[in-house]
Amino acid sequence: MNQLLLALVFLVVFAGLLTFFTVRVRTGSRPTLRRIRAFDAMEGLVGRAVESGRTLHVSLGVGSVANQTTADSLAGLAVLDFLSEQAAETGISPLVSMADPTVMLLAQNGVRTAYAQAPAEEVEEATQQVRLIAPQPAAYAAGVMNILDSDEVDGTVLVGKFGDEYLLMGETAARHRMAHIGGASDPNTLPFIYASAQETLLGEEIYAAGAYLKDIPVHIGSLIAQDTMRWVVALVILGGVLIATTQWWWLWIVVALLTLALVASIVMSSLR
Amino acid sequence: MAARINAAISWIGRVGVTVVAIVVGLFVLADMAADRWAGTLFGMSGLKQIIGGVGYFLVGWAAIVIAFTLLLGVVNVVSVHLRQIQTKKPNSIYSIVLLVSLVATLIFGVGGPTSGGSQFIFDYILQPLESTLFALLAIFIATAAFRAFRVRDLETFFFVLFAIIVLLGQVPVGLYLWSELPVIKDWILDVPALAGTRGILLGVALGTIATGLRVLIGADRPYTD
Repeated sequence: MNQLLLALVFLVVFAGLLTFFTVRVRTGSRPTLRRIRAFDAMEGLVGRAVESGRTLHVSLGVGSVANQTTADSLAGLAVLDFLSEQAAETGISPLVSMADPTVMLLAQNGVRTAYAQAPAEEVEEATQQVRLIAPQPAAYAAGVMNILDSDEVDGTVLVGKFGDEYLLMGETAARHRMAHIGGASDPNTLPFIYASAQETLLGEEIYAAGAYLKDIPVHIGSLIAQDTMRWVVALVILGGVLIATTQWWWLWIVVALLTLALVASIVMSSLR
Repeated sequence: MAARINAAISWIGRVGVTVVAIVVGLFVLADMAADRWAGTLFGMSGLKQIIGGVGYFLVGWAAIVIAFTLLLGVVNVVSVHLRQIQTKKPNSIYSIVLLVSLVATLIFGVGGPTSGGSQFIFDYILQPLESTLFALLAIFIATAAFRAFRVRDLETFFFVLFAIIVLLGQVPVGLYLWSELPVIKDWILDVPALAGTRGILLGVALGTIATGLRVLIGADRPYTD
């Protein structure tokens, strides 16, 4: 029960910080976000595809929106939203692939929303480019390799849940020397991305797509909340190591006070 | 006037869907918490059972909806490949093979996933094909390593250095070259690599919680236009 209480308290504090920082961002207190080169590169991908007369491939991975991979899939969908909006302005339809039908429905919805101002035929064409390949990772990778091998694609963005199959797709993209941006949260997949992609989104960076690409206040607010909670967790871990090593139990009071002071200082600095 | 009515209906729909999503999300979260809570909730013995029952129903409904999406997925696959065939795209022969395979699997699978036909397809077609494809990974890893093992800056220098130590530490020849290599390899995997992995996992966990909270409080609405 203690662990459950702790988890609930953590969740409530996180939600409170997220709401507070979102309100601050909405009222004009915007932080300076560190540069992530992969997001910079994404902004030029659609233009490059238009110039080459080809299209862009966006992979949302093998994850779903109904299990523990939901956050990864939503991160991929945020990237798709941005690229679809850009594509809608230029008239190309990105080729979107995924391995799960629940993600397919959200992708179709996102593409339809991005093309809301476009003629009906264009909306239809863009929606038809959303393709469910296959639920098995190997079969999905084979389908994506086939897409990347065709002459239709100028660049590829693979952001979402991926396993070992990433390398099959990543190496195909590398062989064709096409623009290739990869991102995943699974530490076992990251070496494959690092080895094959030109620009990378490693670990939690994939969740920052909404803040960097679309400048959504709640996403920026959640980034600051995440950073604050990371400091809290790091302080507690360091304090725990120190206390376990020295056996000075009174140090917990110091750690608690330090944590409170840290959160207060971050909150106060955002109020300035 | 009609446009205003349409806009109002659309707004009501969006708000309605968001309210349903928030209520369902909070209920399932409450169910998870109540399930792990020892003793009664707020002194009411039946409350835990009620929350558990409603949570069970909601998760059951979600499972049914997800199963239905698979049907929509099949429709998508069929329509994409029919279009490929109709427009005579290059390699449309593969689309014909895929559709024939789809129909054949449906026919063989009428008896259920444990029937002889289904088992035959899984054991003698699907599994060997998947194994073959994953076997390609060995070659792909070699080509990826060849490209990655080029020292361009300090970051790639450390990448290459650590990779060589771990590679040599894994194979018997490393032991003959220098007996300390396996020990250094173990230290690299157990200390810096594990610390890095835990740092990444910590960030991923916080990112996942933030994403979940955004959906839970209705700030992110991937389910509405």
